[in-house]
Amino acid sequence: MPGKWDWLRDEIKGIELLRSAPLIFRFISGKLKGPDDLIKCALCPNMCRHACPISIVDGKETTSPTGKARTAFFIREGKLELNLENLEPLYMCLSCNACSEWCPFEFSVADLIRPVKETALQKGVVFKEFRELFENLERYGYIYGEPQLQEEIKSGNVLYLRGCTLRENYPELEKKVLKVLNALGENAFTINEKCCGIPAYNLGNIELFKKLAREQAEIINSSGVEVVVTSCPSCAYAYKVIYPEYGVKIKPKVLHITEFVKEKLNKLKNLKLKDTITFHDPCKLAIGLNEPEILEEILSKIEGLEIKAPRRKGKETFCCGYGGSAISRLKPKLADEIARERLKELQEEAELIVTACPTCKLAFNSNGGKVIDIVELLYEVLEE
Amino acid sequence: MTDFEIVMKHNHKLSSKVLAHLSQVVGERLSTKKVDLLTYSRDYWPITLHWMLKGKLPSLPDAVVWPENKEEVEKVVKIAHESSIPIYAYGGGSGVLGGTIPEKGGIIVDLKRMRSIKLHEEDLLVEVEAGTNGYYLEKYLNKKGYTLGHFPQSLYPSTVGGWIATKATGQFSTKYGGIEDMVLGLDVVLPWGESIELKPHPRSATGPDLKRIFIGSEGTLGIVTKAWLKIWPYPEKRVNLSFASENLNDALDSVRRILRRGAKPAVVRIYDTIETKRHFYKFEKAYGKVATVMILEGDTRTVEAEEKIVEEEFKGTPIGEGPVDHWLKTRFNVKEASEFAPLGVVFDTIEVSINWSKATQLYNEVSKAIRSVKGTLFASAHASHFYPQGVCFYFTFAGVPKGDPTKYYNKVWDAAMRATLSVGGAISHHHGIGRQRREWLQEELGNAFEVLRRIKDALDEKRIMNPGNMGV
Ligand code: SF4
Ligand code: SF4
Repeated sequence: MPGKWDWLRDEIKGIELLRSAPLIFRFISGKLKGPDDLIKCALCPNMCRHACPISIVDGKETTSPTGKARTAFFIREGKLELNLENLEPLYMCLSCNACSEWCPFEFSVADLIRPVKETALQKGVVFKEFRELFENLERYGYIYGEPQLQEEIKSGNVLYLRGCTLRENYPELEKKVLKVLNALGENAFTINEKCCGIPAYNLGNIELFKKLAREQAEIINSSGVEVVVTSCPSCAYAYKVIYPEYGVKIKPKVLHITEFVKEKLNKLKNLKLKDTITFHDPCKLAIGLNEPEILEEILSKIEGLEIKAPRRKGKETFCCGYGGSAISRLKPKLADEIARERLKELQEEAELIVTACPTCKLAFNSNGGKVIDIVELLYEVLEE
Repeated sequence: MTDFEIVMKHNHKLSSKVLAHLSQVVGERLSTKKVDLLTYSRDYWPITLHWMLKGKLPSLPDAVVWPENKEEVEKVVKIAHESSIPIYAYGGGSGVLGGTIPEKGGIIVDLKRMRSIKLHEEDLLVEVEAGTNGYYLEKYLNKKGYTLGHFPQSLYPSTVGGWIATKATGQFSTKYGGIEDMVLGLDVVLPWGESIELKPHPRSATGPDLKRIFIGSEGTLGIVTKAWLKIWPYPEKRVNLSFASENLNDALDSVRRILRRGAKPAVVRIYDTIETKRHFYKFEKAYGKVATVMILEGDTRTVEAEEKIVEEEFKGTPIGEGPVDHWLKTRFNVKEASEFAPLGVVFDTIEVSINWSKATQLYNEVSKAIRSVKGTLFASAHASHFYPQGVCFYFTFAGVPKGDPTKYYNKVWDAAMRATLSVGGAISHHHGIGRQRREWLQEELGNAFEVLRRIKDALDEKRIMNPGNMGV
């Protein structure tokens, strides 16, 4: 079979190609890597714009995927000063990685521009809105400051990690999770957990992220458990995808609650509920953990439940607006606007929304949506 | 104000009074920040990628505004009109000819915050604001059981307003037509800040069709804020076909005869031998030949009849669905410029149209003209939009010039435009004129250019709307 570049070799005969375009010749022979990824992205006409919630809702070129890449490129090359005004667009990112699903190079803009954020942080160019968060994480290992003492369940065979958002905003969810796990035949226990560190990672504070990762890994590993279940897809993503990139190993198997439930669901007989719902796939679950169908699949096992799927689902899901740690702090109005854009679509399908992420729940709740976690729905089914 | 060299210099500045007025209208949705001005200094005009890599930018605006409704656009335009400030409408910024470059400074009006959609099912119409993203709209329609049938390669980044301004067309145009066939009504803010509504009647005989003046006016006559577009029920059936022909003529002639018989394939793409090798190297039966991919879609019975016509008329070996699937998978992979511009390769596409009787001649002469420019590595083409009367050729070229890339680039353009004009083709089929093609528009239109110029004068006597664009 002919090769990818044979057509070009045929057009420009060997020696001529070598003479007129040595770089291309080396590139197509695989001897030259070509431009670095940030440059490629900076030269792209935004072929993922339609998937980027910021771009759709904010509507600005500067915060579009390629707009961010170009700004980062200009800063990196010293063409634009490294100051807060120029950095701001780079933080207009939800780290949802929706761009990577459409990018011909499979880039995630969040990943491409993170090094510039890291440099900014090292040089002390930091938004005050982030400083407070970093301090909280340093001192308490908790996003929101000093955590309230929470009762721990000392023993069990599965370690359940709640995550900061759930601990702070939906503590009642914990009991329901434990109940559901119980019904699946598991005894879950909890520990004095810390933040997984992903907010620090998102905001470019890699040192802090690494510190938190090491501490959290120590806590989890020393529990001696074999399976860890989390309610927060971002935490699961951190443990499963990002920790290994930084050489931090979580020994037990980590599962998001949906992954855990899906495996054991056949243990629950007679799942019935008469209701009409729609669902929101959390970006970190659908894209980050590569589980685009899991939520819909679990829902489909409940007899009598009318499921009205939104147009943007699975890998085409649309972040709730509260992801990525930056927007909700720097531009809360924009975060809410994104949440409402998504809510509007969901509410066209059904009043009740099921999701599987405490942050998504918070985003929709804060904007008047009626939303429950998949675990709450299962809890209700079991109660009935 | 910047460490960049500006290619199209101007001395325009906005007074603080004007800025205050603007902020009264749009509040925080106004920016004069350097980082924003840099971003809006360009669109996707390929030569500007080379400029950017060398620290050069086309031109800087003085301010950017992001209006949220027609009333705000009216007020912003009024302010510009009162103080004679240049003003440029901005959509997805994926235009390839510099059509949105703020050449004379002034205000960029980015319409992307205007993205409401209203469906009129019985009338088969969608009412959509100009800043709505292309894919966003199509996906919305699909969920409701419809399609617009408009798939430009810029579907992901571009907007409805941009399509109308540039008179865009899409990959499925042979069935659904270009954007001009889809627009039934328009809201336009005129250069003095007043707006008009051109109603979406199915047809009317109420004087000349005023919408047509604005479709393809590239922001020089007004700012489109809303459109009523025709939609279609989502296709019930789809048939994917592909063929390998011995030569370009066989394939072209087949399509000509198919269209004469009234069949309307949605997609037809005929690749010359170079592009066949380039895109379909994995398909042995096509290699070294001329590949055609074709998609028929719509009502089942219509599609079945069309398939028969195609079978009867096509001169070439059917080679299955593979090439069509491959095309469908890769049709939005826009990556060459990103990969090759940093290696010093100057790369662009040139789309022109021609009547059937001169189609092969145009293909040959334009290819030859591009190849004759020193530094050119290759010139190739495919035909991708078809009419009973003729066809659009889409040329791709790349070169590694010894000297200034811009000089080489302009030489190729010059050669291609001259060859097109001498054969009797139209110098643009769907990218438009912008700033790259403006010097050839007069020649293309002959004394009809005067009509365009007078329309411009009559509507925009202060010449504030995208000044310099299209050369009007
Ligand atoms: S992430 Fe990929 S598709 Fe998106 S702007 Fe960058 S290069 Fe283009
Ligand atoms: S990660 Fe999400 S928010 Fe950030 S650029 Fe990509 S799509 Fe947009």
